[in-house]
Amino acid sequence: MTDHIVRSYDADLESLRRSLAEMGGMSERMLGDSTVALVRRDTTLAQKVISADQRLDNLQRDVEERAVLTIARRQPLAQDLRELISAIRIAADIERVGDLAKNIAKRAVAISGQFSPPHRAVIGLEHMSRLVQAQLKDVLDAYATGNEQKALEVWHRDGEIDALYTSLFRELLTYMMEDPRNITFCTHLLFCAKNVERIGDHTTNIAETIHYLVTGETLDINRPKLDTTDIMVEAVAGR
Amino acid sequence: MKNLDFYYGEHKALKDINLDFRDRHVTALIGPSGCGKSTLLRIFNRIYSLYPEQKATGQVMLDGRNVISNDVDVNELRSRIGMVFQKPTPFPMSIYDNVAFGIRLYEKPPKSELDDRVEGALRRAALWDEVKDKLKTSGMGLSGGQQQRLCIARTIAQKPEVILFDEPTSALDPISTGKIEDLLEQLKADFTIVIVTHNMQQAARISQYTAFMYLGEVIEFDATNTIFMNPNKKQTQDYVTGRFG
Repeated sequence: MTDHIVRSYDADLESLRRSLAEMGGMSERMLGDSTVALVRRDTTLAQKVISADQRLDNLQRDVEERAVLTIARRQPLAQDLRELISAIRIAADIERVGDLAKNIAKRAVAISGQFSPPHRAVIGLEHMSRLVQAQLKDVLDAYATGNEQKALEVWHRDGEIDALYTSLFRELLTYMMEDPRNITFCTHLLFCAKNVERIGDHTTNIAETIHYLVTGETLDINRPKLDTTDIMVEAVAGR
Repeated sequence: MKNLDFYYGEHKALKDINLDFRDRHVTALIGPSGCGKSTLLRIFNRIYSLYPEQKATGQVMLDGRNVISNDVDVNELRSRIGMVFQKPTPFPMSIYDNVAFGIRLYEKPPKSELDDRVEGALRRAALWDEVKDKLKTSGMGLSGGQQQRLCIARTIAQKPEVILFDEPTSALDPISTGKIEDLLEQLKADFTIVIVTHNMQQAARISQYTAFMYLGEVIEFDATNTIFMNPNKKQTQDYVTGRFG
């Protein structure tokens, strides 16, 4: 895209993009670290994730303030206006990703002294988290490069994560039924799985924002989402 | 408007313009200085015919008649197509006479009807409350924004079908600008409005359709929301976002 006549305008937009890239990198790290902390029961690493969240929150507030200020100062139109609105939206999504990762880290601390179920219980969660980390990375790359196609691929892949969540739910339920001593641990894991699944939803939100940013249109088709209610009802009934 | 070309002597200032101006809607013309927007506006009411070296060819249809053909009565045409300029142009006469002037040019209504029409026009131009006690004082004594509304009152008193605005607020402060924009919002219920403006946000606020012009051509013409949020042409995008102009 050609430069603006007013050069400081380009500098404003560029600095917002940089802040978002920084936020994205932080959120990826937080999700990765919180998962490792959970699997390895590493409370030091978990504490690191918890304290990183404050900085992510600050960055989000900063991006939002600067975007609003740019809107007020420059009265942007077309692509520029979409860029600023997108920055506000994406910053909010990334900030939520950080909150959810922090919650996983807190649970890692909470279960560190608990009775330990078979190790394979956390393997499923680790796998799911790795998939979501890849999704997050792809969607942030798509944002940085303005690659709408790549964003749409992320958006379509979210169905897999929902399916994985459902099967993990079943698995954890089985462990709890096998041995009630697993219940505390597995309940925490279940919440962690839900957090990871929610992070997946935020990556699809970001993908939708990228679509809007690039094309100027909102995605009006429904995301392929498996209706998992029946499966969950069956699982609870022990069928 | 079909296949319209316009010449200043040898220079072709407008090239093959094709535009539909919708009845009772506001259409904005935007583009960098010298792109032909004001020239286009001046064709509607044939201001250019004052200058023998200027010539328009093509079709500008108003109610089934080509307004640029020679058999059109220019005075009658101008009573149907009013115009408001960048600098307010009140006549050096009283506020009342400024508004009555346009009516008296074409008809001779009895005094009471004339009074009513002057009051009605001033009310519609959102000026009545500010001037009702000093109708006999000179229109030149009003503030810039009031003078501009006086000119709008004078224009609408003639009951035109189309009103042309050539940068009507570029010489006004933000409050007067706000009042004029508010007024345009009301006027579009009864008049077809064409406005030239350099203020992109103003065009985005007040018009339903926008034409982007460059070097005498219409580059893109579409719903205002499309032009300002998601234009199809790169040149339009660059212009509305301040990347060239």
